[in-house]
Amino acid sequence: MTQVLDKPVQLANPTVAERTARRRALLEWIAIHSLGIAVALFFTLPFVFVVLTSLMSDQQALTRDLVPDTWQWSNYTKVFDTPGFLTWWRNTLIYAGLGTLLTVVSSVPVAYALAKFRFRGRNLSLMLVISMMMLPPQVVIIPMYLFWAKQLDLSGTLWPLIIPMAFGDAFSIFLLRQFLMTIPNEYLDAARVDGCGEFRTLTRVVLPMAKPGIAAVALFQFFYAWNDYFGPQIYASENPGAWTLSYGLESFKGAHHTDWNLTMAATVLVMAPVILVFFFAQKAFVEGVTLTGVKG
Amino acid sequence: MSTHTLRAKRRRSALRTVAFLAPWLIGFGVFFAYPLVSTVYFSLMKYDGFGTPVFRGLGNWAYVFNDYPLFWPALRNTLWLVLVMVTCRVLFGLGIGLLITKIKTGAGVFRTLFYLPYLAPPVAATLAFVFLLNPGTGPVNSVLDGLGLPTPGWFTDPTWSKPALTALALWGVGDLMVIFMAALLDVPKEQYEAAELDGASAWQRFRFVTLPNISPIVMFAVVTGVIQTMQYYTQPLVAGKVASGIIGGSGQQFEPGYPDKSTLTLPQLVYNLGFQRFDYGSACVVALVLFALAMAFTALLMRRRGGLIQAGD
Amino acid sequence: MAGTAGTPGTPRVLRAMNDRAALDLLLEHGPLSRTRIGKLTGLSKPTASQLLARLEAAGLVLATGTTEGRPGPNAQLYEVNPTAAYAAGLDVTPERILAALAASASLALLATACTGQSESAATDDPDAKTTITFWHGWSAPTEVKAIQENVDAFEKAHPNITVKVVGNINDDKLNQALRAGGSNGPDVVSSFTTSNIGKFCSSGAFLDLQPFIEKSKLDLDKLIPKPMLDYTQFEGTRCALPLLGDAYGLYYNKDAFEKAGIKSPPKTWSEFAKDAKKLTVSKGDSYQQLGFMPTYHGYETVVDHYMSQWDHAYFDQDGKSNIAKDPAFAEMFTYQKKLIDDLGGFSKLEKYRNTFGDEWGAKHPFQTGQVAMQLDGEWRLGMAQQAGVDFEIGTAPMPVADDEVDEYGKGFLSGTIIGIAPQSEKQNAAWELVKYLTTDTEAVVSFANAIHNVPSTFAALKSPDLKVDEGFQTFLDIAQNPHSNTPPASVNGSTYQTTLQDFGYQYESGKVKDLEAGLEKTAKQIDTDIEQAK
Repeated sequence: MTQVLDKPVQLANPTVAERTARRRALLEWIAIHSLGIAVALFFTLPFVFVVLTSLMSDQQALTRDLVPDTWQWSNYTKVFDTPGFLTWWRNTLIYAGLGTLLTVVSSVPVAYALAKFRFRGRNLSLMLVISMMMLPPQVVIIPMYLFWAKQLDLSGTLWPLIIPMAFGDAFSIFLLRQFLMTIPNEYLDAARVDGCGEFRTLTRVVLPMAKPGIAAVALFQFFYAWNDYFGPQIYASENPGAWTLSYGLESFKGAHHTDWNLTMAATVLVMAPVILVFFFAQKAFVEGVTLTGVKG
Repeated sequence: MSTHTLRAKRRRSALRTVAFLAPWLIGFGVFFAYPLVSTVYFSLMKYDGFGTPVFRGLGNWAYVFNDYPLFWPALRNTLWLVLVMVTCRVLFGLGIGLLITKIKTGAGVFRTLFYLPYLAPPVAATLAFVFLLNPGTGPVNSVLDGLGLPTPGWFTDPTWSKPALTALALWGVGDLMVIFMAALLDVPKEQYEAAELDGASAWQRFRFVTLPNISPIVMFAVVTGVIQTMQYYTQPLVAGKVASGIIGGSGQQFEPGYPDKSTLTLPQLVYNLGFQRFDYGSACVVALVLFALAMAFTALLMRRRGGLIQAGD
Repeated sequence: MAGTAGTPGTPRVLRAMNDRAALDLLLEHGPLSRTRIGKLTGLSKPTASQLLARLEAAGLVLATGTTEGRPGPNAQLYEVNPTAAYAAGLDVTPERILAALAASASLALLATACTGQSESAATDDPDAKTTITFWHGWSAPTEVKAIQENVDAFEKAHPNITVKVVGNINDDKLNQALRAGGSNGPDVVSSFTTSNIGKFCSSGAFLDLQPFIEKSKLDLDKLIPKPMLDYTQFEGTRCALPLLGDAYGLYYNKDAFEKAGIKSPPKTWSEFAKDAKKLTVSKGDSYQQLGFMPTYHGYETVVDHYMSQWDHAYFDQDGKSNIAKDPAFAEMFTYQKKLIDDLGGFSKLEKYRNTFGDEWGAKHPFQTGQVAMQLDGEWRLGMAQQAGVDFEIGTAPMPVADDEVDEYGKGFLSGTIIGIAPQSEKQNAAWELVKYLTTDTEAVVSFANAIHNVPSTFAALKSPDLKVDEGFQTFLDIAQNPHSNTPPASVNGSTYQTTLQDFGYQYESGKVKDLEAGLEKTAKQIDTDIEQAK
């Protein structure tokens, strides 16, 4: 899929084009690329303004100026000096890291069974997975909250968000299942003929082939946890020691009132890791997005 | 093979299936089936977190539908978002997808630039947009004012708050762009060539070749868009809180749906009822309404895109 | 949690049955402590205290001696008033069975409550080495520093108690954590919102402080001004104490007043409207200077702050919303709407409001000179001085309704409330902190000085150490004015105010035209919401 993406479609063959056609092609090239640049501005200017504001003084951030008078790089150190900011980082990494690990470990066998085993109730199971995937988290939050807070005394921590990930995540199962479907059964049969049990078939044959799919799932799950606001709002809000970046960022605005420069600096610091990860794992990511919609 | 070994083999394979599915089976029971049943139970109870739940029958249902002042505004907002925001996102995503397939120079750079905003964490992106669209001093209104255009109140004006949210959603259209781009590249080239030989115009090629080929994807984008709208929570909540200036840090309760209930969505009502008013019963009623809506559209998705399930059989 | 049957939702019948059950117990067992009655009836402590307060007020029971020789605060004992016993006995007899049933029903409820809250009174030793957790809502760095200094002073005075301070906690989080009742929860809790006191006291989210107050022999009436005592209790349950107060008054730009030829701050709302117009200077389709921003989003110009200056009652005797029947509400809404129209109309004002800086920042419109008058709390003075305004600031009480001139000097009151979490296992140590923060004159004065709030004890108000900047005395006077007021507590907290405020937004913007019908609809909504919360 990505190989195709890297090579844009050639609409005309310039060597055989007549002069008028060539001129038309040139005009079309200019039109399309101008449009492309205009759209690119729409997508990038918000980033630019946010970064510029993050470098202004607090007074200037409240004016209509677009470019800083003096470049206040110290805003960023100030953000790091905010009490709690480093704790939010740590918590986010724990939530996202541990959560991703648990999700992958628990979802792979389920996805494998759904993709490659034949058993009664398979379609029903898959439908239930999709239903869980589409379920807004708010639907079951009241009993879940009471369960975690009152029965298990875990409110004020991130465990109510991490532990469930050890029991398979519907979206990851679905995505992995879609990916595993594309692995030809012949490979599995060959492994079985060689005397591998299902578990060994999974670890020796399927996993190495499923690496791109697992990478996509891991990325999605990592970003999900990184971006999650509702979960920490419900379970961690009462304990600032358990806040994550997404939740803390909002309160950052609350604590700094009109210091838009600092708030924007914090915003940049929350966005940056996600964007960095994307540059390193662009291929897996794009593949994952297309998997959800196109294949299957 | 004797029937005995056959049965043993079957049993072994059933056991194996259960073993592989085990994590999910437990998860399904504990985090889906049990709380769902429990939500139904609580929707019939009066419970505020202290003491024990008291049976109230359909009282909570009557309250939510007849008397809860935020329910119908939230439902109306959701309808607006489905009609306008989802439509805009699908059209814009398709447009950007088309554009990117036509771009020849620097396609990779453009694609990355178009895609990046989708990755911006929602809270961060929302904060950024509230700042950019700050009516008094934000860059957008500064530019609009400089051009002599009217300067709307955006997140502080009930008529402009949802368009502002739509702008934020369009900014993060990268997911749809990638899906459409993949679908567009999958359209068989021969069909375009044939159409061109027949002298079809660009519009006709789009209308009679592209569209029929990608229509399942358009449908998919629409239905998942609707489901996402049902779940729309973080952006409107954070936008309302930040724009109203009341985040709750200084002890004040924030105003749900600021300005004038215009950014309320159903999931926010679950929070308002459950975690601000502590009326768990009514919160569960809204949760069940949300569940019914989400499942209805999921059923539609599964019927339309039967391929989701059947492929592989 | 053991809120059980007596929580706010208790229907009247059940309440009566509880009363009967308690009376029966007292008749049977002789004098009992509140805790013991709670145990025997299966009622939660707040409910039992409410019940006893009710019976005491009705003259049916008497407070007698105390239990002594036990750790924890000495518990007050109650017995049946012998003179009333006959009557009560006669009254009670036919329904004894019912009462017994009610009592056993409550016991059954208690048994099934999922997490046990220790029903026994505080048993921890306040002199033992211990750590308690204190939650507060302050977030601004200066405020956080001030409360920390206060806590440090407390730790010095009580070297055995270490206090873990957690800031930036709002009422939603507080409510949630107290319900969760987990081990990560706080011991000492505080809130900025006095309007949630009804929820806190009636639900048992805050512990009843009466036993502690009695043990420490505090005479609250002599210690704390009455309005502040009122907003820290609900229906006879004292579950909180005031930790500094807020008083609202009028700020005005003296330079602008002089320029406009206004000699003194307005005393009535009609004078106020005239002055606001005089102070307004247009510029194009906007303003150079606005006399006053009257819209409900105009920072602190919310419905209940306006209402404090009209004699009014939010609820009638039956606890039903009074806003459609009490003409004061219609007067206020009409006045505010007319002021909006006179100053240029809603949309023009909203446009102008959008150019304002944040309420808590240096660019507050009053501080920048964008508006010449502002209704605000006493803290604005310190903030404005810190921001370094280039004009002279005047302070005065808020204006009053034209026919209430004799009450000029009153204002809106609010403040921080502090109490103890019922699940705390260190209640005696927690009480030491609460007592220190709320009643130690030095602590109250230094905290008030640091965050520019109104002190909440008589001694602190009179203290020579209290820094009274020019203009601050106005707020000290408002705080002690007998007509100053605060909205009444309700079982569902501030929901009724939010509902009325919502109506305000719709009326001021012209979305709702019919005031009378609108108020009636809003009153009905308030009643329904309260019914739903019961």
